[in-house]
Amino acid sequence: MSHSQDKSSAFGQGVVIFVYLAVLTALEFFIAISFNAVPLLVVVAIVKAALVMYYYMHVYQLNKDDSNLDPHSYEYRMGSDRIGLWLFLLSDAFVFAGLLVTRINLLGMTRPHLNQTLGLIVTAVLLISSFFMNRGETAMKHGDRKGFMTNTLITFVLGLGFLIGVVFVEWRLAAAEKLVASFGNPTDGPVGAVFYMMTGMHAFHVFTGLIFLAVVWNNARKGVYSQEKHWGVEAAAVYWHFVDLVWIFFYPALYLIGTAI
Amino acid sequence: MKKFVKSALARGLFWQAVGLLVGAGLVTGIRAIMGLSTIVQPFFFTEPAWVFGAFVGVISFLVGSGVTSDWIKWARGIDTPEHHEDHYAGWEKFVNVSMDHKVIGIQYTMTALVLISLGGLFALIFRAELAASGLQFLTQEFKLFEQNGLQLYNSLMSLHGMVMIVSILLGTAGFINYVVPLLIGAQDMAFPRMNAFAYWIAPPAAVLLVLSLILGGVDTGWTGYPPLSAHSPLGMQMFFLGVFVAGWSSILGALNNIVTVLRMRAKGMSAWRMPILVWAAVATSIISLTATQLIGLSFQLVMFQRLFGMGFFDPDKGGNPVLFQHLFWFYSHPAVYVFILPGLGVVSELLPVFVRKPLFGYRWIAMSSLGIALVGFVVWAHHMFTSGMNEYLRVPFMYSTLLVAIPTGVKFFSWVATIWNGKITTPTPMLFVLGAIVVFLMGGLSGPPNATVSTDLHLHDTYFIVGHFHDTIFGGFVFPFFAALYYWFPKATGRRMNETLGKLHFWLMTPSFLVLTLAMMRVGLIGMRRRIADYDPGLGIDTYHLVMTIAGFLIGLSVVIFIYNFFNSIKNGEKAEGNLWNSRSPEWLVPSPMPAHNYETPFEVVGEPYDYGLKDSQFVKFVEPAKGAHK
Repeated sequence: MSHSQDKSSAFGQGVVIFVYLAVLTALEFFIAISFNAVPLLVVVAIVKAALVMYYYMHVYQLNKDDSNLDPHSYEYRMGSDRIGLWLFLLSDAFVFAGLLVTRINLLGMTRPHLNQTLGLIVTAVLLISSFFMNRGETAMKHGDRKGFMTNTLITFVLGLGFLIGVVFVEWRLAAAEKLVASFGNPTDGPVGAVFYMMTGMHAFHVFTGLIFLAVVWNNARKGVYSQEKHWGVEAAAVYWHFVDLVWIFFYPALYLIGTAI
Repeated sequence: MKKFVKSALARGLFWQAVGLLVGAGLVTGIRAIMGLSTIVQPFFFTEPAWVFGAFVGVISFLVGSGVTSDWIKWARGIDTPEHHEDHYAGWEKFVNVSMDHKVIGIQYTMTALVLISLGGLFALIFRAELAASGLQFLTQEFKLFEQNGLQLYNSLMSLHGMVMIVSILLGTAGFINYVVPLLIGAQDMAFPRMNAFAYWIAPPAAVLLVLSLILGGVDTGWTGYPPLSAHSPLGMQMFFLGVFVAGWSSILGALNNIVTVLRMRAKGMSAWRMPILVWAAVATSIISLTATQLIGLSFQLVMFQRLFGMGFFDPDKGGNPVLFQHLFWFYSHPAVYVFILPGLGVVSELLPVFVRKPLFGYRWIAMSSLGIALVGFVVWAHHMFTSGMNEYLRVPFMYSTLLVAIPTGVKFFSWVATIWNGKITTPTPMLFVLGAIVVFLMGGLSGPPNATVSTDLHLHDTYFIVGHFHDTIFGGFVFPFFAALYYWFPKATGRRMNETLGKLHFWLMTPSFLVLTLAMMRVGLIGMRRRIADYDPGLGIDTYHLVMTIAGFLIGLSVVIFIYNFFNSIKNGEKAEGNLWNSRSPEWLVPSPMPAHNYETPFEVVGEPYDYGLKDSQFVKFVEPAKGAHK
């Protein structure tokens, strides 16, 4: 597939990938409620992650040969920035991997008894926000500042919706319905500890992602970015997709695998 | 004095104190509204207030020192120049924010020296207590910082470990930062602002570590194992937070280093022509970039367990204390390779210069650094043979651990073969290189007994382990660090350090150190447990302990000599502006001290880096770039 596409085919690709991701998420949910095969869920999650990393985060750009460029040019430095950002994400991924290990060690093949509808809703909201983020970044790549701002605003609102959904609705519901002990409750067992820690760490990243989005949106409003020079936009987009990427693994780990207790 | 008060360091410390009070006050206020306890004795604020305050304090330090101001400008859409020229001269340069990798390298090194002195002081205090059986001065009646003598012993012993670890991380970051861009011909690191940030996050972390001593101390040893650490005094939280913050210095420094090496090498410097220290720095960075997150996470989980009652590691609530050990050692074992790999890189880098021969097996050495780093990721559970983890894990981890001996052996083989038939000269840096090889060999040979399950069950938590790791860390870090300081000191200052004092430093430190660690291993075999303030006179090890204490103080004396020599030579050292060591390396082919943006004329790599003694061989060639041409 060519990587330098015109605007409409780039938008089209974003739609196709979004449909794939949505179908896979529905499939995931179906697998979980019908025959709960953990290896299958892992495979689906990996496929989703690969799609996001390739088509939304453009990981292949790391491989771009720019050795013929002037090392002081914006483009060459952007290549360095890109490697730096991905290394940061790699480092951050170890935190989330450590949390997954903690979850597997402490809970094994059980999971917290959570509200499935709400879980599916917040997952969908985050996925849709990723779609709009991709649209926004694509718009900026083609010099469409207005399109970028509109789409990023939608992303921001959806992201905020996710954050509220998890921290202000899910946390309260889970505690109120005694699905897990309430936050900060000293009698809390490992179920609550794992649940609050995983969703909390992820929510913290969503929160920083929202700040990042607000910053680039404001800078775009001031006209800081152009079609050629918009590293800030790319970084914010890749970071936002990374937050989605983490949820691709956290959602099944918390809501789908094993038996609810 | 006035200049210091206005410096970034003083501003940062001031704002850290303000931030701490504001943060703690905020939490106290919220608690008052919620009807929770607000003021508790003996440390005034409650634990959540202290933790939040300390966290706010770190952020206030960073903002107050001004290291984040460019980023804040970027966030507001204001462009900043790519490079900032330093406005300060002399010592003021080093207490203010600078983007120059050479200044930052020196800042790291100085901070490391301060922390080494502090950690060493802690060690001397409890070493003095151990000089004879029975309690001498750290007794039950002794009181300091709300701790009695025995608790203080625990705090000093724990903080000796962690302060030294942080100082080692900063020390390696110091010479990597100073030397790597020079070796690869870069003007600076890839991200100068992040480089400055990675340094400036270390001082507030150090403050928190010291604060932990004052706020009730740390009684778990440097490992901070729960369940004990979940019930320790308040100091434990400061300790966890300090390490967490210092970890970010390590992570961001490593990230910067990898990108710098990948993207900013001089023309012609292919992977197989990179200086060996650069290989070692990359191998180190791979570990610090990734694994460091796990110590941060494990400490965070204990912090949350204490603050919010989340029972990750509390068996009463269904938690698992062994899980902590897995998370913790996943970093903390590879961390020892973070400590030693740069040092071993220095040994390989300096050896050919002083034996005037090519480095034997260059590619093998380069690969052995990566090999150690990668194998290091799968050996962590050898710290846990006695922890009650699943028994089937023991043997695989034993073999993976023994595997580390292979790449390490490659290094030794290469060093011996490099020295073989060489024209050896022994100025001070070379003495420390040779010392490193000998001491690290001792550390290496005492390793397999600890890796082997059957012997480790006996040796675990004895002084044998203490002797083993002091050998590896002195051989892998302390000796090479001193070698690097003596070697690159003229590059930074244009003067060299006094040779007589340098040799005195070496000949005082090395025998004392060997006596110290051999005695440590001996008493360990006899039955001396580690981390305790007292021992049974019936073991008959009083004499050994007295000898160890004397040796420890002699090491301290030798470091005092070094520090005097270091600071005295900055002003009064003999001038050395040329290629003092007759090296092929590019940084020595230009006059010292190095100008602000490194090489005025860029160089191209035209040959092999270590072909000493071969006729007409050239490593680098300085070429004026053609006007308008791209690199």
